[in-house]
Amino acid sequence: MRLTDTRLLDLAILALTAAALAGLGLVGGYTQFVFGLVAIWTILCTGLNVLFGLTGLVSLGQVGFFAIGAYAHAILMQAGLSFWLALPLGTLLAAAVGCLLAVPAVRMAGPFLAMVTIAFAFIVEHLAIEWRGLTGGQNGLMGFDAPSLLGMTFGERELVMLAIVLAGLLLFGYRRLTASGWGMAMAALRDQEIAASSLGFNPFLTKLSAFAIAAGAAGLAGGLFASLMQFIAPSNFTLSQSILFLFAVILGGAGTVLGPVVGGAIVVFLPEALSGMAEYRLLVFGALLIAVMLIAPRGVVGTIAAYLPRRERGARACDQETVLHYISPETPHPLTVTDLGITFGGVKAVAGASFTAAPGEVTSVIGPNGAGKTTLLNMISGFYTPGSGRIETAGTEIAGWPMHATSRLGVARTFQATRLFGSLGAEANVISAFPKGRFGAPFATLANGDRRALALGLLELVGFTGNPATPAADLPHVDRRLVEIARALALRPHVLLLDEPAAGLMHADKMTLAALLRRIADLGIAVVLVEHDMDMVMGISDRILAMDAGVPIAFDTPESIRANPQVIAAYLGEGTLKAPPRTLAFEPGAMDTLITRDLRAGYGAADVLQGLNIRVRRGELVALLGANGAGKSTFLKVLSGLLAPSSGQVLMNDAYVQGLAPHRMVEHGLALVPEGRQVFPELTVAQNIELGAYRRKARPAPEELESILRRFPRLRDRLDTPAGLLSGGEQQMMAIARGLMASPKLLLLDEPSLGLAPAMTEELYRILAELRDDGITILLVDQMATLALAVADRGYVLEQGRVVAEGSAEELRRDTALIEAYLGQGEARDDGPTEDWQAEAAQ
Amino acid sequence: MPIQPTFTRRALMAGAAALSLLAAAPASAAEPIKLGLVAALSGQSAKSGEAITRGIELALDKINGAGGVLGRPLELVSRDDESNPGKGLVAARELVQREEVAALIGGLDTPVSMAIVPYMNEAKVPFVGPWAAGTPITMNGAEENYVFRVSAVDEYVDEAITEYLISKYGAKKPGMILINNPWGESNEAGLTKALSKRGMEHAGIEKFESNDVDVVPQLTRLKEAGADSLFLVANVAPSAQVVKSLDRMGWDVPIASHWGPAGGRFTELAGASGEKVHFIQTFLFTDAAHPLFAALQEKYPEIETLADVTPATGIANAYDATLLLAAAIEKAGSTEGPAIREAMYQISGVEGVIKTYDMPFTPDNQDALGPEDYVFSQFVEGEIVPLMD
Amino acid sequence: MTLLFAALLTGLGLGAMYGLIALGFQITHSVCSRVNFAQGSMVMLGAVLGYVLTQRAGLPVILAYPLALLGCAAMGVIVEFCLIRPFAIRGNDGWLMATVAGGILLDNAVLFTFGNEPRSLPSPLVETSWQILGTGVYPQQVLIPLVAIAVAFALQMLFRRTRQGRALLAVVQNPEAARLMGINTTVMISGSFALSSMLAGAAGLLIAPLFSVHSDMGTLFGIKAFAVAILGGMTSAWGVMIAGFLYGLVEALVTTFLGSSYTYIVVFGLLIAVLAIKPSGLFGAAKLRKV
Repeated sequence: MRLTDTRLLDLAILALTAAALAGLGLVGGYTQFVFGLVAIWTILCTGLNVLFGLTGLVSLGQVGFFAIGAYAHAILMQAGLSFWLALPLGTLLAAAVGCLLAVPAVRMAGPFLAMVTIAFAFIVEHLAIEWRGLTGGQNGLMGFDAPSLLGMTFGERELVMLAIVLAGLLLFGYRRLTASGWGMAMAALRDQEIAASSLGFNPFLTKLSAFAIAAGAAGLAGGLFASLMQFIAPSNFTLSQSILFLFAVILGGAGTVLGPVVGGAIVVFLPEALSGMAEYRLLVFGALLIAVMLIAPRGVVGTIAAYLPRRERGARACDQETVLHYISPETPHPLTVTDLGITFGGVKAVAGASFTAAPGEVTSVIGPNGAGKTTLLNMISGFYTPGSGRIETAGTEIAGWPMHATSRLGVARTFQATRLFGSLGAEANVISAFPKGRFGAPFATLANGDRRALALGLLELVGFTGNPATPAADLPHVDRRLVEIARALALRPHVLLLDEPAAGLMHADKMTLAALLRRIADLGIAVVLVEHDMDMVMGISDRILAMDAGVPIAFDTPESIRANPQVIAAYLGEGTLKAPPRTLAFEPGAMDTLITRDLRAGYGAADVLQGLNIRVRRGELVALLGANGAGKSTFLKVLSGLLAPSSGQVLMNDAYVQGLAPHRMVEHGLALVPEGRQVFPELTVAQNIELGAYRRKARPAPEELESILRRFPRLRDRLDTPAGLLSGGEQQMMAIARGLMASPKLLLLDEPSLGLAPAMTEELYRILAELRDDGITILLVDQMATLALAVADRGYVLEQGRVVAEGSAEELRRDTALIEAYLGQGEARDDGPTEDWQAEAAQ
Repeated sequence: MPIQPTFTRRALMAGAAALSLLAAAPASAAEPIKLGLVAALSGQSAKSGEAITRGIELALDKINGAGGVLGRPLELVSRDDESNPGKGLVAARELVQREEVAALIGGLDTPVSMAIVPYMNEAKVPFVGPWAAGTPITMNGAEENYVFRVSAVDEYVDEAITEYLISKYGAKKPGMILINNPWGESNEAGLTKALSKRGMEHAGIEKFESNDVDVVPQLTRLKEAGADSLFLVANVAPSAQVVKSLDRMGWDVPIASHWGPAGGRFTELAGASGEKVHFIQTFLFTDAAHPLFAALQEKYPEIETLADVTPATGIANAYDATLLLAAAIEKAGSTEGPAIREAMYQISGVEGVIKTYDMPFTPDNQDALGPEDYVFSQFVEGEIVPLMD
Repeated sequence: MTLLFAALLTGLGLGAMYGLIALGFQITHSVCSRVNFAQGSMVMLGAVLGYVLTQRAGLPVILAYPLALLGCAAMGVIVEFCLIRPFAIRGNDGWLMATVAGGILLDNAVLFTFGNEPRSLPSPLVETSWQILGTGVYPQQVLIPLVAIAVAFALQMLFRRTRQGRALLAVVQNPEAARLMGINTTVMISGSFALSSMLAGAAGLLIAPLFSVHSDMGTLFGIKAFAVAILGGMTSAWGVMIAGFLYGLVEALVTTFLGSSYTYIVVFGLLIAVLAIKPSGLFGAAKLRKV
């Protein structure tokens, strides 16, 4: 038998329980009593660990359930019921109340949930005070018969033993629960609620069960507490007690199996150790708690576990034949969408969308940013409730179904910004989809041999080559996309919705992905693809739905779409847009405004920027080009100080500025006009623009605002309008005006034309040309490569965090092969929802 | 801070005690006899807990100065119950089982005492209450009752203040304004009993919380029900809230109170009208020349005037309780609980600060103080003085 | 009639105070989605400092109270720096428990330095009461709602009219963009906790003359104010103020007409009911979910 982590844990639980039982024989009456308290705390905190550690829900009301369990037990026993009946009945009552409280509580998060649980604790405490006939009021209840079993009467020692055994069983139960479908549902919900629903997990039921388990455990602890103390009163059940319970879980290590024992032991023993300090006890206690939390934020067990080696049984992938057989739908079904529409705050995001995605075919949805593509997927998958129209598949009308219901029916999806369960490994992410949201038996291991083999096989199918145990949060971007597709396939869907799966992928990876999607479709799955990469779309699609501004403009074969004049005008028409070039050639001055040397940076495991050397001369307009995920946004983040570089240097006007905080970068004369405009929606346009000058020593003169308004005449009439109410184009103008207000030495523009109508894009570029001609130094990142090169003096092309080409704009413009290979046309942004702005504008 | 110097010593002692427990060393003759104290040493009642501690420490100084008990010094081991019965019970268990105290003093709040009583009777260790007045604490129905008290008893107090309102103010329909806790409950029963004995009705029973800022709604209801006088039962701060609310309403009504107002700077909190509240005491310093006051000043230099010793009752009760316990241990010639209990019924001629105790306890009456020991008093210029009439 | 009027007076005064404390929760929550759970201890700190500076140090009120508020602000900065920032940087929820522990620490530290008996903070505004409609009212009780509303207005002006105020609003509305404008968000967050603690301290100074000054006087106020902030939805200052008045009135009406025994049960029961119907509070705006 090999020792794996789970086996070791089981052994540890067994050893702890046995040691505690054996230790009872050695200690005096009082220490025995304290052992009993620790066991009771362990029971309660293990339940709370399910709620807080596993499901991520904060409850400050556990003391309420503790009280309910204790009072129910005490009252039933005083009514003559046997201990062995009163204990489970108290537990059940507490669990039932937990379910009741969960009904309002599951809809809330953060402080709102905390408040509801606090309120609950207060209500229970005061009911115990006021319901004197039942609870004995403030004086409480005392004197409960000792339980007996098989003729043996339970003294305090036997009772403590019972508590220890129950605590051991609960710990073991927790360990098994985490490995089961239930635990998976809870962990999934904690990491990514939206993705959890997309795999069929019912958020309401999952949270409800977590609440019920936590409440039941608290109730059980309460019953034992009443019998052990032989006395209960409302003052045992105050809010501060509840806070201590949560403290114990955090101190021990939330989400770890043994955390509750350690936390419980600390919280019970520490005051004992400090009891000689009498009135100073709370002072020392408070200070110690803060110290532990600062030094070991993951809790004692979590901190120790981080240093221990991991031991897991390996598994082997099953062969591809089995995998393909597994994911082939038994009976293929088409997806039919009829006249679908939705409105956000008066703005029609999608109207009249109709198409049919046939099984075995790839149906693509294309359109410029803001066309409503993702919104369409959101309605089909049940994330949004459509305002009108019908969605039919597998002979069922599913419009308005919640996401977990559509996915159980067989409609799987991926997300534009991947939504994996960050704390789980790639393999576990895939396994999470197998049960289709069913919890299964509470203690049955979800990751059994067959499922693991299948999960590894699926990962192999999608071309994942990384370590399947690496937590998803640490995976590189490309791998995250692949794991998400594998996870969606593990649901055995008959409809697969993919939202920009190729974004951020290299050309070669895109080709592999295209082949994979084709293969998936050939199995009889109806694949619906939202994608910007035209080569890929045209290459693998059977039918294409083209949309513009929420309205479908064509649904046809790729050939017809390519020839459709309306589609060309709306989407592929960049070539017709014009931007004014310099009239006189740029004369480089004496100084460089910006130099970066071997700049590397990233978000964790791997560096996104692989040593960038970029130079911008004073008065120059430099274009930075590259596909999605090439590292352009990361580069701008480093320059603006939002992200610290891992190595390399940034020089601005002869000062090293790498790693400075954003406000210091602004002082050095750098202004970034961020992607997606990032306006302050509730401030007026004038206030927004003024904030641009925040770091300047002197308040800007009114003439300055005036001169900026001359550049952006559209803004003049809107000065007192809240910025959130402006159109996308107006917001972009305002964001640039705001950047200019800082009178920057270098203006960075991130995707300024994103989501703008063609006419607006042209106007924007005219303004950029004016700024350039007025001598402002600009570094421009834009998806419209040819347009950007038209106004630029020089350009750089990035791929995978490296410069692959640089030169004058003229040279780069001529090199059409280069542009084709690295840029494609009509690219979108790296990640993040492209339709944000629309939803925001609608609010 | 009075307790600071003993802090490290006590921590050391605790450590030493734990060590000796491990080594299971046999008790030697010079080893101190431990007395336990369970009281609220933090939170709202901390002031009263401090008074009890001071009373005991003064008594211990006197006893140990005279050679201790059974040739051994007496030592105090304190535990904070935070006014929480559960914590009080656990602390009592710890003192009895781990510290092996000969007797326990304590219980500031009635609910804490009530929680501890059954345990002490079971453990057969004497428990002497210097404060909590709840009637059932001593009258607990146990066959072998180990609970004694040197303090007021709610039932007697209620009888006394009822009589006081009737005889002095001719009250016909008093109202009750009681703190919403077991102490309030205990007095609700006592007052109702005292009134019904006289065939009188009350104008209403109103409860309030110790953190209530405003008691006007409750008082308005009593006023509208035609109350001609008030019974007040609450600790010092809540009592002050009642007086402030009365002031605000402009309702001038006779008030007879339990001893709550004595627990702090009542007139500072309640304003000048605080002087109108008449309340009972078991003991009060009438002049600064009192020997106990001198001893207090010597031991606790921060005490400057009589106004700084609140409540004197707590100090006096605890002082006398400790003397009585010491006398009983001496008499029993043993630190065994049952022997001390038996001796409690036999002690006589113990000169306390409240009075000289001759046979203060009998198995039928485990209370050393009775109505004859109560003094009606009021605040005058920040000091508690007996009422003259 | 007298009963109703008395209840309304009580409710408005206390409600305004809850609202003032709750504003503190709302401000920090808007700026950085975190709150100081030791807010109740800040109420106590304001009152204790006010007492110590006027009664022990003998400073005039005009000097002492601003100093007390500054003390609270400083404590707010300390709490943010020691108990919130270390956890915020790691992105975990430890700050919640750490600030609770901080409150315990502060309460006990005050217990040992200030003393363990309740003291009274005098105010000329509680010496005589005005008799209206059969009940009395202290000028101080009228002062509290007036101050609360004035503070809410002043905050509005501060946010709308001053450079720093607008910078704070900018951080609330779009933290990343605010950083790009050169706004030092770390300082702004720190400042929001200072402001929040000052509001709590002001509430402490206002309520102390009607109540008493002691080390655990703030705990319950803190919890009630948190309930108020949640009820108000945590998003708008006026929402929180209105929720404060509502809470105070309901509390006083229940106490008056049902008895104080049922106050918590009814008030917190109502709170759960309201949140069950409106999970983001009475005046909170539900955000559009996006993927």
